[in-house]
Amino acid sequence: MNREEFLTRVRTAAAAGRAYRVDVNADIPDGAGYVGGGGDLAVCLAHEIAAVGGQATVVDDLAAARTALGALLELYRPRSAFCWQHPLLDRLQLDELLAERKIAQSNSQSLAALSYDARRKSMLAADIGITSASFAIAETGSLVMIAQRGQERLASLLPPVHVAIVERAQILPDLFDLFAELRRAGYDNLPSNLAMITGPSKTGDIEMTLTTGVHGPGKWHVIVVR
Amino acid sequence: MTTDSDYAKHEHHEFLAASRLAMANASLQSSLSLLGTSLGQRNREAFEAFADSSLMRDKARAIKDATLADLDKHLETLEANVLKRGGQVHFAADGDDACEIIVGILRDRGAKRVVKSKSMTSEEVHLNPALEAAGIEPIETDFGEYIIQVAGQRPSHLVAPAMHLRASDVSKILSPVAGRQLPEDATQLAAFARERLRSGFATADAGITGANFAIAETGTIVLVENEGNIRLSTAMPRIHIALLGIEKVIPRLDDLPVFLKILPRAATGQKLSIYTSMITGARRAEELDGPEEFHLVLLDNGRTRILGGPLRESLFCIRCGACLNACPIYRNIGGHAYGGVYSGPIGAVLTPLYDGLAANRHLPHASSLCGACQAACPVKIAIPEMLIQLREQLHHESGELGWIESLAYRLWARAMRSPRLYRLATWLATRTAGRLWSSGWMSRLPGGLNGWTASRDFPAPAPTRFRDWWDSEQNGGPL
Repeated sequence: MNREEFLTRVRTAAAAGRAYRVDVNADIPDGAGYVGGGGDLAVCLAHEIAAVGGQATVVDDLAAARTALGALLELYRPRSAFCWQHPLLDRLQLDELLAERKIAQSNSQSLAALSYDARRKSMLAADIGITSASFAIAETGSLVMIAQRGQERLASLLPPVHVAIVERAQILPDLFDLFAELRRAGYDNLPSNLAMITGPSKTGDIEMTLTTGVHGPGKWHVIVVR
Repeated sequence: MTTDSDYAKHEHHEFLAASRLAMANASLQSSLSLLGTSLGQRNREAFEAFADSSLMRDKARAIKDATLADLDKHLETLEANVLKRGGQVHFAADGDDACEIIVGILRDRGAKRVVKSKSMTSEEVHLNPALEAAGIEPIETDFGEYIIQVAGQRPSHLVAPAMHLRASDVSKILSPVAGRQLPEDATQLAAFARERLRSGFATADAGITGANFAIAETGTIVLVENEGNIRLSTAMPRIHIALLGIEKVIPRLDDLPVFLKILPRAATGQKLSIYTSMITGARRAEELDGPEEFHLVLLDNGRTRILGGPLRESLFCIRCGACLNACPIYRNIGGHAYGGVYSGPIGAVLTPLYDGLAANRHLPHASSLCGACQAACPVKIAIPEMLIQLREQLHHESGELGWIESLAYRLWARAMRSPRLYRLATWLATRTAGRLWSSGWMSRLPGGLNGWTASRDFPAPAPTRFRDWWDSEQNGGPL
């Protein structure tokens, strides 16, 4: 159907429908539904992450974060890692941490040099995804991932294990605060893809039995630097 | 003979027969018994985080009502902003249109295989058969939907499409695909699906999704899921096509958190679903993953007909499934008995509106009007009132009542308008039926009225009128 006809039909119906508008509560205070984190945001975030089936570790500084990440690499012994390029990961000296353990690294620099097919193959082969996040939300235990060069969407999705490192300054109390941040950045600057991650990949499709890792990572670790 | 599995496979208009089969199906009954205690209970608990959860529902309701009043303008804004991000917008008047548009896009690009994420809207337009007819292989990637697709069935629940199946059923369905006997274990069955579907993601030419919301002022579509298959479908293939019912538009970015706070809570009791994706156009030039093309297909398919009428409020539905989990009828018969794409209380409203009232005349009656659906609905849709309206419309339109029942109602109405006639009628009724059926119950009504007594007794009139009793007790003056 052509666009004009379609929109005319909607216009006519919307106008006729105004006779059937419903009574709504006009008296809803600003801030209704705001929950927030309450108390120490890092602790609250970690608590919510555990509640949705993730594993959160709260540490006091970067050195402790590096140790925690090292311990996870010992645990999973990945051969290859799909990593974000992010200032926090640089400060952690992630490159050295991986090199010491002879873990191959895919990141946007190495991937960009590959052909489409080779790039896809490299992404699919990764045993672990290591990222930071753009924000974290204490209320819900979520990480907010904004797609851009260096911060690929698939790093937090394709490998069976996802480890993210976030620091205190990235944590927002409430979901509403994320939208305030997006407003501040300007709606014209919305990314092509923004994903909020709130747990390991899950399904309850058979008899409501909770099963993790059905498509995305079954293991989800978050290291929170206070 | 029609069987359970036929109703699971095909849309139909045999509500009563299908319900009877469903109630006799022990395996289905045991699956359904999980609903109220899991999803329903978690829904109620999840809303306790709000100081006043009613306000969030009111807010969502107000946004929906205002949006629909100017839906044309919001669609134009949405279109402009999708175009601005390099996306393309298509307009589909009905299901055939939508299929033709989507098949057209895929054909032009030589696509042979698509990964699909669960979408009731694509069920509604029967997209999979259309793709197959065009030689394109659609692969459903939501675990439940994948099982259903292999089994050749329809989803039975808005959120949990395969909830009618047990692990043993799923093992039987998937074992032939695997070429070996799969264990009757949810975890291992899911692991098999993961392996199987990974190759689909890696080789698909396009990803097709629905959308939970579309934000007009930014040209963003929003997708909510727990498995990650939607994120994979929208990150790996070169083309992304989203099919959107026009009622899913919200005007502003700031409206979204309101809905994100209520949808997952109402659907599964989660504060947020595991993955919430906000997609604004195709990938930007410098990005290394994500689709190169983004298409948004706007679907009417009967929605404007509803929009201009008294049941407009049914378009507020955000497809959370909470009314299904709360409904005593749905919890006894499951989704397939309803016959249409949408089941449960909201399906009993939507199916007659989309598919015709006369053909679906049983659905508006498939409710005790207990109000549990409205109480569970995160946008407070007045489902019971709409069912009553549909019943009324049915009586006017179709002459559904037999002449005896119709005469009985007319006499009743007449008597209620005249005190003298009312007194005479009650006097007569107590002196005849009231004395004859001294047990107080009539187990069989005559002729066209016997439907009432087919499965329960009808209360007989009392042997004495209340007014006579009142007077005989010397309670003094008139009431």
